[in-house]
Amino acid sequence: MTALALERDDFRSILHDRRMILFTALAVLLVLVSFLGLGLGATGVPVSRILSVVADALTGRVATGGDALIILQVRLPRLLLGLLIGGALASSGALMQGLFRNPLADPGLVGVSAGAALAAAATITLGDRLLTPLLGPLPFSALPVGAFAGGLLTTLGLYLVATRSGRTSMATMLLAGVAFGALAGAAMGLFSYLSDDRQLRDLSFWSLGSLSGATWTKVTAVAPFILPTLLAMPFVARGLNALSLGEAEAFHLGVPVQRVKAIAILLVAIAVGASVAAAGMIGFVGIVVPHVLRLVAGADHRMLLPASSLLGAALLVAADTVARTIAAPAELPIGILTAAIGAPFFLWLLLRRQGGVAL
Amino acid sequence: MSPLLEAKGISYRSGGRMLIEAADLSIAGGSFTIVIGPNGAGKSTLLRVLSGEISPTEGEVRFDARPLRSIPPWRLAHGRAVMPQASDLSFPFTVFEVACLGVEGIGRGLSRGERQRIALDALEQADVAHLGHRNYQTLSGGERQRVHFARVLAQLQAGRTVETRQVLFLDEPIASLDLRHQLALLQTAKSLAQDGLAVVAVLHDLQLAAGIGDDLVLMRGGRLVTRGRPESVLTPELITEVFGVSLVSPILPPSPWTLAPTATRPLATGAP
Amino acid sequence: MPVLSRRTLLLTPLILLAASRLRAEPAHRIVSVGGAATEILYRLGRTDEIVGVDSTSLYPEEALKTKANVGYVRALGAEGILSLNPTLVIASEGAGPPDALRLIEQAGVPIIRITDEPSPTGIAKRVEVIAKAVNAAEKGAALIVEIERGFARLAEARARVTRPAKALFVLSLQNGRPLVGGQGTTADAMFALAGATNVASSLTGWKPLSDEGLIAAAPEAVVMMNHGPGGAASDPFTYPAFAATPAAAQHRLIVMDSLYLLGFGPRTPAAAGELMVALHPDQVVAAKP
Repeated sequence: MTALALERDDFRSILHDRRMILFTALAVLLVLVSFLGLGLGATGVPVSRILSVVADALTGRVATGGDALIILQVRLPRLLLGLLIGGALASSGALMQGLFRNPLADPGLVGVSAGAALAAAATITLGDRLLTPLLGPLPFSALPVGAFAGGLLTTLGLYLVATRSGRTSMATMLLAGVAFGALAGAAMGLFSYLSDDRQLRDLSFWSLGSLSGATWTKVTAVAPFILPTLLAMPFVARGLNALSLGEAEAFHLGVPVQRVKAIAILLVAIAVGASVAAAGMIGFVGIVVPHVLRLVAGADHRMLLPASSLLGAALLVAADTVARTIAAPAELPIGILTAAIGAPFFLWLLLRRQGGVAL
Repeated sequence: MSPLLEAKGISYRSGGRMLIEAADLSIAGGSFTIVIGPNGAGKSTLLRVLSGEISPTEGEVRFDARPLRSIPPWRLAHGRAVMPQASDLSFPFTVFEVACLGVEGIGRGLSRGERQRIALDALEQADVAHLGHRNYQTLSGGERQRVHFARVLAQLQAGRTVETRQVLFLDEPIASLDLRHQLALLQTAKSLAQDGLAVVAVLHDLQLAAGIGDDLVLMRGGRLVTRGRPESVLTPELITEVFGVSLVSPILPPSPWTLAPTATRPLATGAP
Repeated sequence: MPVLSRRTLLLTPLILLAASRLRAEPAHRIVSVGGAATEILYRLGRTDEIVGVDSTSLYPEEALKTKANVGYVRALGAEGILSLNPTLVIASEGAGPPDALRLIEQAGVPIIRITDEPSPTGIAKRVEVIAKAVNAAEKGAALIVEIERGFARLAEARARVTRPAKALFVLSLQNGRPLVGGQGTTADAMFALAGATNVASSLTGWKPLSDEGLIAAAPEAVVMMNHGPGGAASDPFTYPAFAATPAAAQHRLIVMDSLYLLGFGPRTPAAAGELMVALHPDQVVAAKP
């Protein structure tokens, strides 16, 4: 065997091994964090009891009693919602960064969060005045449904603004998104000015991102939107890899650039829209998770997208577990925890690296 | 055989300016065509139109007798590769991964291992195999250009399983290379042309162009001034007229450099 | 001895709790969410039955020191509250998020929502509802009588106010921009009880007031809270717009405790009386509600 041949085997096996190790580690982490999430809480429930309740539920027998209620109605839906939303936010962040060719891009860049927030404020403030007289009291689901629709419509609007003769300019979309964000901020200010105390209260419930209101209804409402998008994301991975060379280069490599953009934007709008509608705004996950993974395992989106889903899910569940146990029986806002857990780890990775990071 | 690439009466207008005006050009397989001209002559725009990246405002480009715009991107990518002028990468891909971008989704009946072998071969051909694990973002300009050359070589190699008639576009491929790698890259491209590929390159070095190209296209102000063998295009009169410089000697001297026979590794031969 | 006394203080509730367990009727385990609710429960003598309070339950001070803190009134967690094993949750209208409360109800814990209405009848309603929920109807009725008597005395004193003070309530003062209490706010209701005129009554709710609006409103007194958003009250008269008001000329700044002033609980008649005296120093002599 020549030295060259050795070198070649080296390349392939290292790549392969690295990915195996990464995904195994992430899977172990996710299982571990999920167990902690299910096992820890303000109420002390023994592990054996948790396992038997979950096992019973899986076999169709629903256990009764206070413990079972805590596990099945409080912790389990909260765990699942955290997994879904963490995965959605982190992989959407990775997708956006690939699409905008900018590692600082945020899942909210395509206007979905601003649109959802604006629609939520409008639903709260105007819904009462304009719709209730016509339709009667609004159902409780009006707010999340309105927010989801608002997020999607905003993204669609920005997409149309940025698309000229079949070509979407990501720079235009970014700038239009910034302009819309400013406009939405102004409109939100106006809505909160017009709101009475009760409406302001509803608005503040909504804008404080939290998994505290997790119910099975929310999990089953959100899962059909988030799970398919998470599974679909890896299909644009090759396109995103090529796009990191530039749009022209991606086209030369045979990538249907416009289709990749449209699909990626749609996936992000759905995943982030559903997340924001169910749990409000939770920051930081979408930026820090893809970065951490890039530092650890490289930039290939075929690895990055699924790995971001896993790590994002683990990070959010870990943060939520801390948020609801550290000051029990009180809860801390989860945004504080995602940043408090994610940021130091991120900084440590940056400092450990020699020679800095090229953006 | 019909010309591999044929442009008929193509014009390209952007922002009210004619960047290319009524150009006719046909390029046959096995030829090494070099586009020369002063800055702003429309050389890169011509390459973008010919490679299908932008559609001409008027006229039509045909690839292997089919209208270029009717060929779907994935199909076109099997018969056409483009090496960009300069390329920044937004994420920390390794050199090996960048080369692999050239083979992902290209070619038929290739196993994962075969694709990776093609990428590694191409890295060796471009003399960057030793950088395989390096982060692309940390490379020098010349190293980056060689990595992209490896990427397009890999793309052509993988594409050959589907499309045997291929074109390679090189947009100022040697701008930041050292002398040895300039010569090596052009020689690799030349040998590809000898194997039947059509190679179209934009070059600024007239001596190198004259030495390596068998077909020169001279452009000025968006128009093709003339085209033909180097000695018929690079006349002292035309050089003075188009570039505004005059020759010191009565004829264009040949490039004084050639690859030393002992140059470390064999860099050429790319055909299957 | 300080050590002993503190220990006694800590032990007292436990002993009382043990004692209450001995009563025939099983005692409640109450989580109280909202400052007014906690205050009323304490006044009804149900101190030992409280197992948790929210972070706005600032009076009496021992509430947050001796009971579990279930967090901010608008960011409650279902499991946190359920972990206290409550048999009853008393929550103000503003408590939430709604889904967390719904989960608690699903767990079989009844939740009594009490009105936030800032008025004497609102206070009476709160006392009545809470007293009924904790089986303290008699004490509740007595407390209501006491509160109503306080308001009656306040009304008498108010009748002697011939020239109502023009007052402005400033909730917060961020970078010199005042957030003031307009119509429908608890501050507006307190001014009415104290016989004063709210100069911000053209606004509805808590609204920012412009410099010119402030000068045009010409308040004779400024009322602020010592525990409001933004911490302790800063001296507003250092800002030019405030300095141009009649209030600045006499340096009439009244600072009161937030829950005492705006809580609309059992202490409200007293708070309104204090505010009245402070606003009309030359017209009312210390009314004793």
